[in-house]
This record gives sequence, C-alpha cells and structure tokens, in this order.
Amino acid sequence: MSLLAIENLSATVGGKKVLNGISLTVNAGEVHAIMGPNGSGKSTLSYVLAGRPGYEITGGSVQFEGRDLTTLAPEERARAGLFLGFQYPVEIPGVNNVYLLKAAVNARRKALGQPEVDAYEFLQLVRARMKLMQMDESFLSRGVNEGFSGGEKKRNEILQMLVIEPTLAVLDETDSGLDIDALKVVARGVNSLRSENRGVLLITHYQRLLDHVVPDFVHVLARGRIAKSGDKSLALELEQRGYDWVLEVA
Amino acid sequence: MSALPTPLPTNRDENWRYANLRPLAKAKPEAVRVSAPPASVALPPVLPGYERWVFVDGQYAPTLSSSAAASAASLLDFRDAGQELAQQLDSDLAQAGADFSLARINLQREGKVLHVSVPDGAEARLELNFIASAAAAAGTSYPRVQVHAGRASRLRLVERHLSGDAGDSAVNAAFDLALGNDATVDHCRLQNCADGASVFDTLTAHVGDRATYRLRSVTLGGLSSRSTLFVKLAGRAAACELIAASVANGLQTHDVFAQIEHAGPATRTRELFRGIATERGKLGFNGKMIVRETAHEADSDQSLKTLLNGSGAEAAVRPQLEIYTDKVRARHGATTGKLDEQMLFYLLSRGIDRRQAQALLQWAFIEDAISQVELAPLRQEIEQLIAAQLNEVSALDGLVARA
Repeated sequence: MSLLAIENLSATVGGKKVLNGISLTVNAGEVHAIMGPNGSGKSTLSYVLAGRPGYEITGGSVQFEGRDLTTLAPEERARAGLFLGFQYPVEIPGVNNVYLLKAAVNARRKALGQPEVDAYEFLQLVRARMKLMQMDESFLSRGVNEGFSGGEKKRNEILQMLVIEPTLAVLDETDSGLDIDALKVVARGVNSLRSENRGVLLITHYQRLLDHVVPDFVHVLARGRIAKSGDKSLALELEQRGYDWVLEVA
Repeated sequence: MSALPTPLPTNRDENWRYANLRPLAKAKPEAVRVSAPPASVALPPVLPGYERWVFVDGQYAPTLSSSAAASAASLLDFRDAGQELAQQLDSDLAQAGADFSLARINLQREGKVLHVSVPDGAEARLELNFIASAAAAAGTSYPRVQVHAGRASRLRLVERHLSGDAGDSAVNAAFDLALGNDATVDHCRLQNCADGASVFDTLTAHVGDRATYRLRSVTLGGLSSRSTLFVKLAGRAAACELIAASVANGLQTHDVFAQIEHAGPATRTRELFRGIATERGKLGFNGKMIVRETAHEADSDQSLKTLLNGSGAEAAVRPQLEIYTDKVRARHGATTGKLDEQMLFYLLSRGIDRRQAQALLQWAFIEDAISQVELAPLRQEIEQLIAAQLNEVSALDGLVARA
C-alpha cells in the first residue's frame, strides 16, 4: 500500500480552479520533489493535503495509508501522521514553543493509543533535535515563531517535524529565504527524518535544496497538473533551461 | 446618606453607554452593617513582603489582616479624614470624580477610610482585599482608599475584590491617589467577585513631576462591572501605564471609562486593553486621552483590542483623543475581531484539537496584558483565574503557571 495516493485531484480556491487533475503516488521511503513556476498550484496542493479551510476539492481522491484523507479534519490528518511545513509560519505570541511541541506530540500519541510523553524524555528529545537544527534552547520558552527571523521560522518548522515524527512530511518552500548555511541545516534535518517508513514531499522553486536533500522523484507542476516527472536529473535540467519548455510540452 | 440619583445615568449618556446599571439600581443603597466579620475567608497566601489588609463589606476585619505595626496605612474616620485629604488630593480631579461617579453621588458619609501615606523616599507594599459578603438586598459596601505617595517614594499596591457568602453583592468603591514628585506607584487590581455581583469603582490619580503611576487592572467577575478612572498627569514628565484585561462570559457586562489627562509637559501614557467576550458577554472600553495646551512633547499610545467568541458576544472599544497643542505624539489603535483563522489552522495542523486551539489563541490574546503583571505570584494567580474564566483549565494546563 502506498503512503499517499493522489488520483486526478482537482481543487478550487475562492471559486478559482487551481488544481486540475493531479495524480501522484508517494511510497514509504521515498522523497518526491515538486517544482514549478509561481502560480502553478504547489502551495495549493500542500494546503489541500493539510485540509486548510477555503481550499475545496472538486474532484478526484486522496488516500493516506489507505484512508480517505479528504474526510478528515485538519487536526485528524496531523494525528494520522501528515505534517505540513508552512511556507510562511505564523507567529503565536503567548503560546510558547515547548508547549506547542508537547501538545502536538501528545495529540499524535493519543491517536496512536500511546500514553502521554514523559516530561524528562521529551525535553531530552527536543534538546537533541534543537542541537541538530542549531537552535538555541532559549527558543523553547519564546512564543511560537514570535520575533523569529525568516530563517529561524523555517528551522522551527523542521524542528517541529523532527519532534512530531510524521509519516509523511509536506514541506512547502522550506528553503525559500534561507542563506546557504541555514539551507544546509534544514537539509540535514530533513535527511535525518528519511527512513523506509516515511515519505517526504518537498515543494520548492529551486534546485539548490535538492543538492542537499536528494529526491527519488522530481515532478513539475504546471497549470494545476503534473506536466513532467523524472529523477533528480530533471531538477538539474530545469535549473539550466527554466520552466518554459515544460509548459510548452504541457 | 443620600440615595442614588433619580434617574440613574442611562445608556444614552455616551460615558455610560456600555455599563449595565440595572443590578445597582436594585441594590439597597445603605451601607451594609457587619456585626462580626467571618472567621475566615478564601484568600491566596499573603504575597511575600506585603502586609495584608482585609475588609468585609467595606469594613476592616483585623483578625483576617496582617498589617505591620509601623504601617503606611491607617484607618481614619471619614469625617476626620476630609480636611487632611483635601490638601493632598487634587481638587479638580476630585470634582471630576464627583461629577461623574456613582461612588461620590452615593457617598457614604460615615465609616472608615483606609488612608495610605508613604513618607518621602520610603517604600511600602500593601495588599488590600475587599470581600463582598452581604446580598445586595441587605445593602451596598463602600470600600474607600486614599493614597498619598511622598516624594521619591515607592508603593506597591495590590487590590483584590472578591466575593464571600452572597453571590449578588453590590460594591461601590472609591480610590484616590496622589503621587508626589519622583514617586512610583505600582497598582495591581483584580476584580473576581461572583458572577451575580455588581461592582462599581471610581479611581482618581494625580501624578506629580517625573512620577510614574502603573495600573494593572484585571476584571473577571461580576454580573455588572464598571470602572471609572481619572488620571491627571500634572507634573513635568509624569507617566501613566494602564494595562487592563477583561473576560466577560455568560451574561456579564464589563465596562471601563478611562480618562487620562496630560497637563504637564513631556508627560507619557501607555494604555493597553485586551478583552475577551464569550457567550453573551459584553465589553466596553472607552479610553479618553486629553492633551492640554501645557502638555507639549506629550506622548501617548493606546492599543485597545477585543476578541469575540460567540454569536451573542459584544464589544465596543473607543479610543478618544482631545489634543490642544501641536507638539505631541499620539498613537492609537482599536480592533474588535474573532480568532485569527491562520493561527487556528496552524495549531490544527499540528494535531491540536479545535477546542484546545481556540483556548490557546484566547490565552495568547489576553496574555499580551497579563504578562505585564510583574509580580510573579499574582500573575500566576490571575492566569489560573483566567483559565477558569475561559472554562479551559485542562486545555491550558502547562501554559498556566502554577503557584
């Protein structure tokens, strides 16, 4: 059984058709990169998968580990093992990071029928992951993303992912706005999550992230559908030739 | 004793537009007679370093108090207090209060006044607890406090209004403060009376040269609550920080009228209000800022925000500016809105259930104000009460500091 099976998916945002028949299968252990020009539907795909209100599915199906994802509320999708790394993470002053992390982990554990996480072990785990992400421990007591720089927000998304340990991570332009050092740190975080039980859907504009997180498959999204698929060499070709030639084919 | 004026102010008077005066109109206006205060009342532990004064239905309860032998506070007969206090307090301000306030209209001519006098350069910490115990049908309680903070003195004042036996008490409190030059007063007030109580208060503060008056005011209880505040920044570089927070649920109405008058040059005000109305709760905050001709280089900042959670909830925030000089900085912002959908989705996308996510966002909203209560044990006490008021003790477990 595949981890994620998208069949002929169509969706509208504010009445406008943005996804136009996407089909994509992600198996456990695979990393898929989704590339494409602005407005091609990349972020919409991530929001549709996560269940954001206002993103309406008008056709097709999405199965997540054999379950119909579209019938689940956003929080149920997360507890089922889907994680969305936001392109623009929101700031939530007043709710500190460690609280959010713990609540998220316990929500998932509860769904899996596991007891709440031990406070000491949890903190040890979080500290280890923060070290990997080169984040200072003081971030834990700060409000969620409050006053974080763009790069810090993106690291915090990856930190959350590493602590929650989802089955499928959908990372929406996690590389945008990162300098090369931060990009490497983020890539290291993503690579550390890779395993034969998990899948990653990397949404990106640029090939440079894929130098550090090498995908098994690369897809080009254009006009709301997948116009071309290939292996990592496709990303290199896009880097050299741009998207126009794919759009012409599509 | 004069009776309540007839008629009472109505909601057509813009300064009383959001107040609910009906419960007060039903209360017996005579002062409650207390034969003997109760042997005990439910109060949090005494704040470290503070002396405790407890009043039941407006009358001092020595057995419940732990005042120091050489206290800055003393009880004066109202009649005796009059002359001395009149010299220390601002007469214009007192008149403004009298013109405006139900407390003055319905003045209690007898009884005691708690008089706090901090000598020049001295420090004092006082915790004043007012317990409303009698039912409104038996009378109204009239807490009266007058504060004189001497030159370069430092006063930390905590004021609680809580309920005892009856759930529908009527309280009509009056506070008058005079801050001498270079004095600093930190005043934290918490109103957490029972949900059937009527709690009205009037406060005046006269702030001298370079003196700072910091008021944190948290309103959680009462069926009907109204605070009327007059602060006059009279001296050069006098400053006021008013941080107010309120949660109104059920049928509660919480209303604040705050007038801050910049009279001296280079005076500063920072005013922040965060209120949450749920169910059929109603909130009003009218922040009036006056900058006189004499107040050049004045600086004021108002941020008034309310959050509505429930189709029957209402809120009205109203910043008002009256500026009579050119050289001023005055910023103001006021919003009334619902929970931020982007924040909500972010929390949901982390697996947090909707109810808990909503509770967290309400918490985050009000924490903007509560986090500025600097006294840690009091802040913890307030946070726990807010979690209870939001009906989200378990959802907020782990965020609310434990005492």
